[in-house]
Amino acid sequence: MSEAMENAMANNDMLLDELDDDDPLNATGVSRKSLVIFFLIDTSGSMKGTKMGELNTVMEELIPEIRRVGEADTDVKVAVLTFSSRVMWMYSEPIAIEDFEWTRLRADGVTSMGAAFKELSIRMSRNSFLNSPTLSFAPVIFLMTDGYPSDDYKAGLEALQKNTWYKYGLKTALGIGKEANDDMLAEFTGSRDTVVHAYSGGQLAHLIKIIAVTSSQIGSKSMTLADSDHELGMEDVYEAKQKMLGQQIQEIVKSEGFDNTIPFDTGW
Amino acid sequence: MQTTFQGLFHTLIGASHLNSGTVCQDSSDFQATEHYAIAVVADGHGSKKHFRSDVGSRLAVEAAVAAVSQYYTDPELFEETICEDPERVIRNIEKNIIARWDQAVHTHFREHPFTPEEQRPFTETEFAKLKLEAVYGTTLIIGVIGSCFTFGMQIGDGSLVIIEEDAMADMPIEDDETAPANVTASLCNSYAIDMFRSFFLPDKALAVFVSTDGLYTSFRSTDDFLDYHSIIASRLEKPEAFDRIVKRNLEKRTHFGTQDDISLSCAWDVEIMRNSLDALRQQVERNKMLAPLREAEHKARLQRQHEQRMRLIGEETQQ
Repeated sequence: MSEAMENAMANNDMLLDELDDDDPLNATGVSRKSLVIFFLIDTSGSMKGTKMGELNTVMEELIPEIRRVGEADTDVKVAVLTFSSRVMWMYSEPIAIEDFEWTRLRADGVTSMGAAFKELSIRMSRNSFLNSPTLSFAPVIFLMTDGYPSDDYKAGLEALQKNTWYKYGLKTALGIGKEANDDMLAEFTGSRDTVVHAYSGGQLAHLIKIIAVTSSQIGSKSMTLADSDHELGMEDVYEAKQKMLGQQIQEIVKSEGFDNTIPFDTGW
Repeated sequence: MQTTFQGLFHTLIGASHLNSGTVCQDSSDFQATEHYAIAVVADGHGSKKHFRSDVGSRLAVEAAVAAVSQYYTDPELFEETICEDPERVIRNIEKNIIARWDQAVHTHFREHPFTPEEQRPFTETEFAKLKLEAVYGTTLIIGVIGSCFTFGMQIGDGSLVIIEEDAMADMPIEDDETAPANVTASLCNSYAIDMFRSFFLPDKALAVFVSTDGLYTSFRSTDDFLDYHSIIASRLEKPEAFDRIVKRNLEKRTHFGTQDDISLSCAWDVEIMRNSLDALRQQVERNKMLAPLREAEHKARLQRQHEQRMRLIGEETQQ
């Protein structure tokens, strides 16, 4: 947890105590706004070796990084869905980032991305993974894959597109190596600007960190008061955030000098 | 049969609205007669195109109170009818509320045409496309305790909690799955009648609470939210004294929680409440003990999942 966030929480606790020691309603705590980040991770056989090794390492390092991204008044939760021959959640619910422990993943099997999309569409519900009262922001959804789906991803995507949380969620995708299909990933995110490619282990680690942190920062931004006299509607907020994410990701990719023409897997 | 009802209601402006100098978009009310009590809250949408939603929420609360009052013109007949076919009667009340609100919105607009200042944030084309009702868009949540039943209805986000005679708290209206964070069904929608959700309980509840989403979103869990209502119910014996504490707590919740406007309205039956005071206090004590157990159990479950997954990976690697 960042120092700023710790200070903010400590201040809040102190002020709460000062306000009314004898308030029996203090027995139920006050919670801050929260944001859920969904990671959809391809764990098919083709991810074996350096790709999965790098991914595991960077995800372990990423958790402390994400702890710092939420604004001081936002709690961040993480949910990880892996897909290969089977689709599996790392935990049965989104976990507060402070409590999250990364379980190292291993690669095997085929790429059941369509099944993963379907599973995500079921779980992104008030009756399931999104049942926290404090949920105040549309989720961040980050897809990572190195290949083309081996199942009917379009059917899965259709199911997902009917989900309102997905519709307003901040979506981004990372293609790993040349087999990852940009068109298909853009279908998932809704824009090419929010799709990037990693061609080496170093790029993979770097991009995962940048994208996860950037999308979480934008996702947890309160944008409802941007107008001088009026709040923005949810659709305006979604469009503004998705556009901002696309711009920032493209700027980062350009400034880092990643060359998308690097031949396949030379860096792995 | 005649009964005595009491109630309390509060609307607090959200910390974020205070900071930005925008107006409170919530409204609330409580009314009681010898036959029924009604608690009602509404949350105006507040975004750019709903620039009169503070008025819209007030009109919605007024429409709800007036509609229920109209149905109670002949209390005996109403009670008989609603017990026979609650679904049909509640739907008719919903229609009545929509019609009243719609009429009130048009009357308000006729008396207060849009000002140049209100039009300024829009282009001419954007402004021409605005639907009048949308400008006043709001949610609405209503809870009613009658002589031998309890019912409620809501459109959009927000919560309705009932405390029954056995002191148990419950949320009888299911979540609206079509509404993700900050997207809500509205009284201004053309199909508003199909967006209402309702419940009917053929028993008289001890208390019914309605609140806008700013309250629910300040809790870590639904269990905490329900416990909060049990605590309030257990203190209603001296409402004048406790009213101040509730207001202070709501102020804290908007300041330290999601910073949204918060409205809470509550109606209760004085006699049932007095008779159930012991049960209520016991329930609050039970909740106090259960809360840390729930937390510990939750943590242990997650730890088990982590360990199981580690074991599974270990086994797969060995194979």
